[in-house]
Amino acid sequence: MAFYFGLLQTIGIHTLLGLSAYILLLTGQLSLAQVGFFAIGAYVSGILTVIFEYHIVPGLFLGALVGGLFAFLVGFPALRVKGLMLVVATIAFSEIVRLFFFNLNWRVSVNGVEVGPDSTQGFREIRFYAANGWDTLDVVLFVWLFVVIVMALLWWLDRVRVGATLRAVGADELAAQSSGVNIVAVKVSAMTGGGIIAGLAGGLYAHSATYVDHLTFSVLLATFAVAYPILGGLSSVFGTLIAVIFVQGVLIEGMRFLGDWRNILFGLLIIIAMNVRPAGLIDGKVVLRIREALGTGKKSGGEGHAETR
Amino acid sequence: MGIDFVDIAQAIIDGLLFGSTYALIGLGFTLIFGAMHKLNLAYAASAIAGAYVGLAMITLTGLPSVLAFFLGPIASGVIGFAVYVTCFRYIPTTNMLAPLMASIGALFFIDEIVIHATAGSPLSFPAVMEDIYLEFGDFGFRGDLIFVLAISLIAMAVLMYILFRTRLGLATRAVSQQPIAAELCGIAGHRTNAITFVVTGALGGLAGCMAAAAVGVISPLLTVPITVKGLIVTVIGGLGSIPGAIIAGFAVGGFENLFLLLFGVNQRDIYVFLLLFVFLVFRPGGVFDTAIERD
Amino acid sequence: MLKLDDLSKHFDGVRAVDGLSLEVDQGEVFGLIGPNGSGKSTTVNLICGVLSATRGKVTFKGRDLHGLPPHRRLNAGISRTFQNIRLFGELTVWQNVWIARRDAPGREAGFIRNWFGSSARTREAIEETLVFADLAGRANDLAQNLAFGEQRRLELARAVAARPDLILLDEPAAGMNREEVEDLRQRILALKHDGITVLLVEHVMELVMGVTDRIAVLNFGKLIALGTPGEIQGNAAVREAYLGSPDSESA
Repeated sequence: MAFYFGLLQTIGIHTLLGLSAYILLLTGQLSLAQVGFFAIGAYVSGILTVIFEYHIVPGLFLGALVGGLFAFLVGFPALRVKGLMLVVATIAFSEIVRLFFFNLNWRVSVNGVEVGPDSTQGFREIRFYAANGWDTLDVVLFVWLFVVIVMALLWWLDRVRVGATLRAVGADELAAQSSGVNIVAVKVSAMTGGGIIAGLAGGLYAHSATYVDHLTFSVLLATFAVAYPILGGLSSVFGTLIAVIFVQGVLIEGMRFLGDWRNILFGLLIIIAMNVRPAGLIDGKVVLRIREALGTGKKSGGEGHAETR
Repeated sequence: MGIDFVDIAQAIIDGLLFGSTYALIGLGFTLIFGAMHKLNLAYAASAIAGAYVGLAMITLTGLPSVLAFFLGPIASGVIGFAVYVTCFRYIPTTNMLAPLMASIGALFFIDEIVIHATAGSPLSFPAVMEDIYLEFGDFGFRGDLIFVLAISLIAMAVLMYILFRTRLGLATRAVSQQPIAAELCGIAGHRTNAITFVVTGALGGLAGCMAAAAVGVISPLLTVPITVKGLIVTVIGGLGSIPGAIIAGFAVGGFENLFLLLFGVNQRDIYVFLLLFVFLVFRPGGVFDTAIERD
Repeated sequence: MLKLDDLSKHFDGVRAVDGLSLEVDQGEVFGLIGPNGSGKSTTVNLICGVLSATRGKVTFKGRDLHGLPPHRRLNAGISRTFQNIRLFGELTVWQNVWIARRDAPGREAGFIRNWFGSSARTREAIEETLVFADLAGRANDLAQNLAFGEQRRLELARAVAARPDLILLDEPAAGMNREEVEDLRQRILALKHDGITVLLVEHVMELVMGVTDRIAVLNFGKLIALGTPGEIQGNAAVREAYLGSPDSESA
């Protein structure tokens, strides 16, 4: 049972990380900086609960806020670059963050025990859950509470004008500008929102893992963060969730019996998936069909999406 | 202070020589980007895999180790073609994300095949001319690095010849500038793109062999760092700029080694990334900035 | 209403627009014609802020627009359509119009309602716009699935939804058949009737001559003639400019 609870936490945290990249992808920005914000959230909230003995809720909150603040600051220079340049610049940002924590040494004595980030040794002792008597089920529910809130929020944003505006910027910046959209504001907001979500995910990760070090926050994890929404499709927030379940649940955990063949299969499946479904597993057509099946296809209040023709 | 001028100059010299591998990798990214306006993230993986194949060939057959530098690129060219077919050929050209993601899948796939075949342990790679050491006063030139430099200069010369003196090169440049017009002039876009992947793949294979020879070992762990450095070189050089990628490759190699000397291995890359930011902010068009504002 | 003053745009030494000065009056339909490459589209891009001028200035309702980005110019009352249709293909027809919608002056919704809510008034306004563009039945279709003529009409609807005072139409009749051109003519007249000023860049002379009040003719970025359709038709310099470029679609 503990295994499944652990897996559920991983799926929840990775879903949040994927959703943080999803918002940016809607505006046409492929950002590998999400893992940088994730790392910032992890370290900040970890430091707050361990060194300053905060409760986890304000710890997570501040971690997410600092992640969002850095994203806001990254957002402005990121406006200058697009496409490949943005990819490379955001990789560089994430790597600088990783190397910063790799070199960060902040050991202090709390209640007679030395704790805190220990540069190359990583940051251990993030034991808020255990120290406060939370069992694994509590942690799973706690993580998923945030997943549900964030997903509901993003789902709702896609119903209102904000969502259409984000997608308009992603589709055609010039046309969006000429339709009165302030693309600077939209892109920086998306970056900030993505940073907050990634920071939150990082904080949850640090406390679930109880131990973080720089190796976690690799380019590989940054790649996964964008891979989830791309594989799942950008038509719906559920695409990201399904991609995470598929990758973390089915591919990584479900196929352990394959040994290292599993990893080979993983790459192969990504290639096949992108050839067969270039717009992701849940593309526009699937969303349409699901809406029809649920009978919610008809427009609600006018801003409804496509219905049957 | 244990660091004097001679140390600094020596570090820069070694870095510049090693930078020739970065230049080749950067060239590969830039050529594919120039041809298709797409990013092939499996590129460094196929380079490393090619070097492995070259190494395996000479180890299994007992051929002289210099031949690895021929067999490796051939293998990488083949892998490059396979990557083109699986990740780019059949995905709609308007879709930017899917081929990128597919090439990431190919990166995982190639890397994992290598790990599977070698049981994940790094192998030693034969260095060439390592017993030669040229000395000029206070400075020395490592023979293996000179060999690396020589090979990459030859490769660049051949590449330039192909691009600017042959019909194939003309076709490549035509396809990259006006894909539809080129198609109408009877140039098969897919074929030209495929050839670009094979040529750049071979170039990458050469870079993979050279990097492995200079480092002395080869490991799939090299893939991600080389990918990242190659991308930095591509951006600093200016997207699609061939001379830019070459200059940037040498520059990144030189600076990297200098930062290694000054700040140590843990902080070296921070400064390489800061160098990238300096370029992004002050010269976003790369070293040879030719950006023209036009609708 | 719109005043161009010595407006110039040079690309690498090519003078796309060269010292253009003209004035568009409130409520008129103003035509901007000229052979291919005469600087018409560049002029449109300079007016709506996509390009910044090398020299000269654009004044709108007495206000210098220098340095204003396109979205601020839309707020100031200038909207546009694109020569090569630029819709948000994966959004619905409804959403395309929704993004560009502006409330009537004095009835603006607050920030929250504008971005996160919707009101009956908004829906009504959007539906009205769709009816105007004859797209009411296709509100929930994706823009990319529309036929060519419908996409042109959606471009127009999106530009109208912003409640502009001045609307820039960049070759709206390109690729249209005779019947569609006549439809477009009626719509332009309807805009004029609503008090919207129209700047029409067009190659289809039948439309230009049939709808405009005044016409400016550009050649090599310079103004070579200005007058009523009748005057322009009889102008020798204009005829020469067009005959000099036989590949133009000005038949």
